[in-house]
Amino acid sequence: MAAVTIDSLLQNPTLLFRPKAKVMLKPPRSLDCSRNRKLPLSRGSCFCSFNPRRTIHVVRASSSETALIGNFDTSSSDDIFYKDIFPVKRIEKVEGKFFIRLDRSKDQHDWQLTVGCSLPGKWILHWGVSYLGDSGSEWDQPPKGMRPPGSIPIKDYAIETPLKKLSEGDIFHEVKIDFNPSSEIAAIHFVLKDEETGAWYQHRGMDFKVPLVDYLEDDGNTVGAKRGFGVWSGALQQFSNVLLKSEASHADSQNNNIESKDSKNKNRCLEGFYEEQSIVKEVSVGNLVSVAVRKSPETGKVIVCLETDIPGDVVVHWGVCRDDAKIWEIPAAPYPPETTVFKNKALRTLLQPKATGNRSGALFTLDEEHFGFLFVLKLDDNTWLKFKENDFYVPLLGTSSVPGQYGQSDITTEEISSKSYTDGIINEIRNLVSGLSSEKSQKTKTKEVQESILQEIEQLAAEAYSIFRSSITTVPEEVVSETETTKPAVKISSGTGTGFEILCQGFNWESHKSRRWYMELKEKASEISSLGFTVIWLPPPTESVSPEGYMPKDLYNLNSRYGTIAELKELVKSLHEVGMKVLGDVVLNHRCAHFKNQNGVWNIFGGRLNWDDRAVVADDPHFQGRGNKSSGDNFHAAPNIDHSQEFVRKDLKEWLGWLREEIGYDGWRLDFVRGFWGGYVKDYLEASEPYFAVGEYWDSLSYTYGEMDHNQDSHRQRIVDWINATNGTAGAFDVTTKGILHSALERCEYWRLSDKKGKPPGVVGWWPSRAVTFIENHDTGSTQGHWRFPGGKEMQGYAYILTHPGTPAVFYDHIFSHHRSEIANLISVRNRNGIHCRSLVKIVKAERDVYAAIVDEKVAMKIGPGYYEPPSGSQRWSLALEGRDYKVWETS
Amino acid sequence: MEVSVIRSSSQAKISKTELGCRDLRFCFGKSNDKNKIFSRKPNSVCFDSQISRFRKAGLRFTLKAVHSDPILESKSPATSKSLDRLRLFVGLPLDAVSDGNSVNHARAIGAGLKALKLLGVEGVELPVWWGVVENEMGKYDWSGYLAVAEMVQKAGLKLHVSLCFHASSQPRIPLPKWVTKIGESQSSIFFADRSGQHYQQCLSLAVDDLAVLDGKTPVQVYQGFCESFKSTFSPFMGSTITGISMGLGPDGELRYPSHHKPAKSGTITGVGEFQCYDTNMLNLLKQYAEANGNPLWGLGGPHDAPTYDQAPNSNSFFKDHGGSWESPYGDFFLSWYSSELVSHGNRLLSLVSSIFGDTEVNVYGKVPLMHSWYKTRAHPSELTAGFYNTASRNGYEAVAEMFARNSCKIILPGMDLSDEHQPHDALSSPESLLAQIRTTCNKHRVEVAGQNLASGAPGGLEQIKKNMLGENPIDLFTYQRMGAHFFSPEHFPSFTEFVRSLSQPELHPDDLPSDEAEATESVQTSSDPNIHLQTA
Repeated sequence: MAAVTIDSLLQNPTLLFRPKAKVMLKPPRSLDCSRNRKLPLSRGSCFCSFNPRRTIHVVRASSSETALIGNFDTSSSDDIFYKDIFPVKRIEKVEGKFFIRLDRSKDQHDWQLTVGCSLPGKWILHWGVSYLGDSGSEWDQPPKGMRPPGSIPIKDYAIETPLKKLSEGDIFHEVKIDFNPSSEIAAIHFVLKDEETGAWYQHRGMDFKVPLVDYLEDDGNTVGAKRGFGVWSGALQQFSNVLLKSEASHADSQNNNIESKDSKNKNRCLEGFYEEQSIVKEVSVGNLVSVAVRKSPETGKVIVCLETDIPGDVVVHWGVCRDDAKIWEIPAAPYPPETTVFKNKALRTLLQPKATGNRSGALFTLDEEHFGFLFVLKLDDNTWLKFKENDFYVPLLGTSSVPGQYGQSDITTEEISSKSYTDGIINEIRNLVSGLSSEKSQKTKTKEVQESILQEIEQLAAEAYSIFRSSITTVPEEVVSETETTKPAVKISSGTGTGFEILCQGFNWESHKSRRWYMELKEKASEISSLGFTVIWLPPPTESVSPEGYMPKDLYNLNSRYGTIAELKELVKSLHEVGMKVLGDVVLNHRCAHFKNQNGVWNIFGGRLNWDDRAVVADDPHFQGRGNKSSGDNFHAAPNIDHSQEFVRKDLKEWLGWLREEIGYDGWRLDFVRGFWGGYVKDYLEASEPYFAVGEYWDSLSYTYGEMDHNQDSHRQRIVDWINATNGTAGAFDVTTKGILHSALERCEYWRLSDKKGKPPGVVGWWPSRAVTFIENHDTGSTQGHWRFPGGKEMQGYAYILTHPGTPAVFYDHIFSHHRSEIANLISVRNRNGIHCRSLVKIVKAERDVYAAIVDEKVAMKIGPGYYEPPSGSQRWSLALEGRDYKVWETS
Repeated sequence: MEVSVIRSSSQAKISKTELGCRDLRFCFGKSNDKNKIFSRKPNSVCFDSQISRFRKAGLRFTLKAVHSDPILESKSPATSKSLDRLRLFVGLPLDAVSDGNSVNHARAIGAGLKALKLLGVEGVELPVWWGVVENEMGKYDWSGYLAVAEMVQKAGLKLHVSLCFHASSQPRIPLPKWVTKIGESQSSIFFADRSGQHYQQCLSLAVDDLAVLDGKTPVQVYQGFCESFKSTFSPFMGSTITGISMGLGPDGELRYPSHHKPAKSGTITGVGEFQCYDTNMLNLLKQYAEANGNPLWGLGGPHDAPTYDQAPNSNSFFKDHGGSWESPYGDFFLSWYSSELVSHGNRLLSLVSSIFGDTEVNVYGKVPLMHSWYKTRAHPSELTAGFYNTASRNGYEAVAEMFARNSCKIILPGMDLSDEHQPHDALSSPESLLAQIRTTCNKHRVEVAGQNLASGAPGGLEQIKKNMLGENPIDLFTYQRMGAHFFSPEHFPSFTEFVRSLSQPELHPDDLPSDEAEATESVQTSSDPNIHLQTA
């Protein structure tokens, strides 16, 4: 949002000098820019990018401008030949409050539970209830009448209700749940979720529990009331985790703080309670860096004026350059005050606070002959602000006035965790500990401190681990070496198969419905093979709680909605007969339990792999696992398997081996591999020696203000990291490419299909041999349609993936549709020209309405409505295929 | 948590309780930034594993305290003193600095240092390679190592520097190029075995005082190196740098390269071979034989010794009964062979102790643990490595005496090895050998520091703990070695457990129990068999 506004300013620099009436209108607090890095609440809520009150961004941006203008005005603005404002984003920790209140609703009959949070964010209350007589800690869905508007049921045990602000001026996002105290509900359980960051706020890894029985029934028995109340207040006293800091004293100023914190003194009758906690979250904060360059008429020198509203000490790490190569040099003195020379390469100047406002700045006087002024900002040892991972660049020669080559100014914060950060933690811990040493009653806190240290250690170790591991195979080098190998690889490896594979996804979301899918598919085996597919991916074969098979229960029971084990074997046999390899869809991340544990939680397994709760990760509150913490993300609908357990890995390896032997599967499609560490996948693959394996690592792409970023490097990096963790033993679905194709095709932005190095922008541009490209699958398309490929553009998508390196995968629904012959033709072009997963792609056009590339010098293609014809040079190109907004040529 | 359990019991246990308290304390850090701790990872929801781990660790403390008190009441202060002194170091990657003198995976090391500091580790060990620093004779480039030292200092850790005058094959860190070049034309600067094969990973001890390196002797070259190190790192000496190990031979150890290759897994280590066949060694042997009136014994090494991979009884030299090692010739040869090694050690250690004598750093040398065939009478592995230690003779006396003379301490690797995990047929006993060396060192008042051979040896951590905390505890242990495996999910959690189960070494001075109270009691503690407590 802010960036958009700034863009328009950049394109129209004269705007800068126009006083803005808007400035006057803005609420004063947006100008209140504290130098304290621990932000006051109001400020945090102003600058979070996801804040609904977006106008404030704009307003704020212009406020800084005004200040800047003021500054320029005093120094004869006529001489200014360059000015620019760079918006910068920083990550800051914002502290806020989170409260739980139980009180009577206005009509005095019903009661009301209110949960509120003062931090900005898309807060969601993830909640359920338990009924009287329930023994376990499982949740149930609350009765319909209890659900506030906007609630969404999650599976059959929870509700998600967004927290809302009641009015614009409110500090708290709230949700109110009304309930009748005489109902059968025993307790309300909840956790708080920030949808924006995906963070969960819990009560020591468990849900918050608010018991309602015993003391709420007006004419209930008092003994029960006391007991119930005691349990409840005790629970709340302890409630905290690393993110929720218990504060001994809390602000009484806000809201109707009807009770003191000390539960012992609480009115135990019917007054309900109010409990407040601190909560901390990371938000990105927008600041501005303004730069103006003018020429001093007296001295003929160039004066660069740099100013920012970033709070705290800001050091400008700067230099000058002589030409476009932007090589840093140190200019001649004089330097501004507080300047030091850094390693003979740059200068460091501490910005001086301005007398007015909360800004700091500096003036740099330079000789005229310099070409440009380069700088980055250093906030502390951990935090550098850069311009798109580059230096900020300010041209000093009067001609150019806008940093044109950069277009959008978006600046990312590079946060390097370093010593001072750790020291901060250590000190925090130390303060806590020493503060406690005299109070013997604070064992709990000491324990939390220990936990947080351990967690910190674990994170550092994980960081070190990933670097040490990846330093063995660095990805970019690998790509170079791969693209250099022009001759097709003959060696078969589980990450690539032969390198010439074309994958068919042999089912959709509805396939289970016929209950004889295996038999239906068997009839199509030779047909699929004749289209040119070499590998087929079959649906998950195990017994499953959900009919589609992704909620496996007994792994050794292969009778599913798709057919019996005998039919499966028959299908695999026929597929082998027509020369196709068969992938089994294996769900290793989670497994549904057979039995409840003593708390009534489903986490005890049966069947041949009769694991107990040690096989379940410990960090999912629903399933009370006793294993270790998950090595990946959690899938919340079923117990997530703890792959760090030796016995689990041994059993899974055995199972995979059994599937290979018994069914004849040649390889695997691995479901939800985000849920556990890729190193375990490597282990499984080395044990089961598949012919081909591909993992589903699906997370969302980077968006800024609702628009997809051009640069999806971090997204593909995560996928590449996973592949790397498997040591390249598995490929991964190229979700990045799909996402970029979506934007490119849907919005006619074909320029997105080239990254800044002129390579394909997806995983296929970095590690082609391990990228399994696709445009649709049973989740994204089919009847689920979670992320459907732009309608009518499917063939452009296939024209792209079937001519490009990587291993393309085609979705069943598309094969058996009107696209069929076009897809078949594309596959035959691919096979005829020997395009393989490591083929060389040369992007020749990536413009608004057309993308064109030449692959292995043998195949040329274009997609998009724009014009492209391959060059008529030494090669003679002939048109091989043509369809709606795509063309493919081959050499003749 | 466990503190309260203990506190409720008798007076004698209070000192134990204090110990428990200290274990919970994390005493480090400087600046303060209040916001950070609570907000590191917003999308993390789960703390159960930490809780359970903590409980486990806590439980262990409790057990220890409860069990030990009835048995050991008077001794517990002494035990706590030894724990207080115990310092744990972790080795940095061998190639932390390599070609081009840049720091490799600096970010990983940075994160690793922080993790170790948080864990309560005292410091890190840094291998400093001759081949990295002295690329031209007499010209030293320390920049990479200085950068590491700065990182370590910033992290608030101590540094133990190992000066490596040998080469490493994995990762590949060669000798300085100019040395290798001299070796190409003059192979006699390297050790040679009976078949004339040269070992090119370090210089032969026979050339120590021969001017083979462009007119300088190796000892002079080592001296230049050490002096340059000392002056370059003087700001760190005694503060960050607390110890220096002098490289004494292959892998830095005081020994002959008698085992060129480590045994393949699953096979049993052979006896190794004597390394006395380079020209200079043969010259020394000849002089020695002539001086002893047996010139014919000076023409070569034993004729009836087995080859590298063979077992002791495959030839007659090492046979348990009637082997030549027990003959007058055997005694003659082994006395000479081992004394050359001790003299070599003496030359280098007297050099470093004189260089670093005026600093506060401790000087160490590493003595190998040649534990194969220890249960035979001849101890062939030790003999070929240069230690004349047999069933009837303590060969470590001379070694310990030499260390004592130079006021140097001994680093003993292999503290993670236990007898039960050795192949039965190898007749090996790392535990007995370790005990023998340590007893000998005690006798000569040479302090012993520990090291493990490899991370991930079965039962290794338990064994280390036993060696660190058991009777005759050691005060410094270097755990090898930081790298991918070290931080892997397979290894790191168990290491964390291990560290936490030891006492946290850093204490505020005012937390220390008063020394007078213990002085009298600590004398008796060495016989205290409290090993079972630590392994409980």
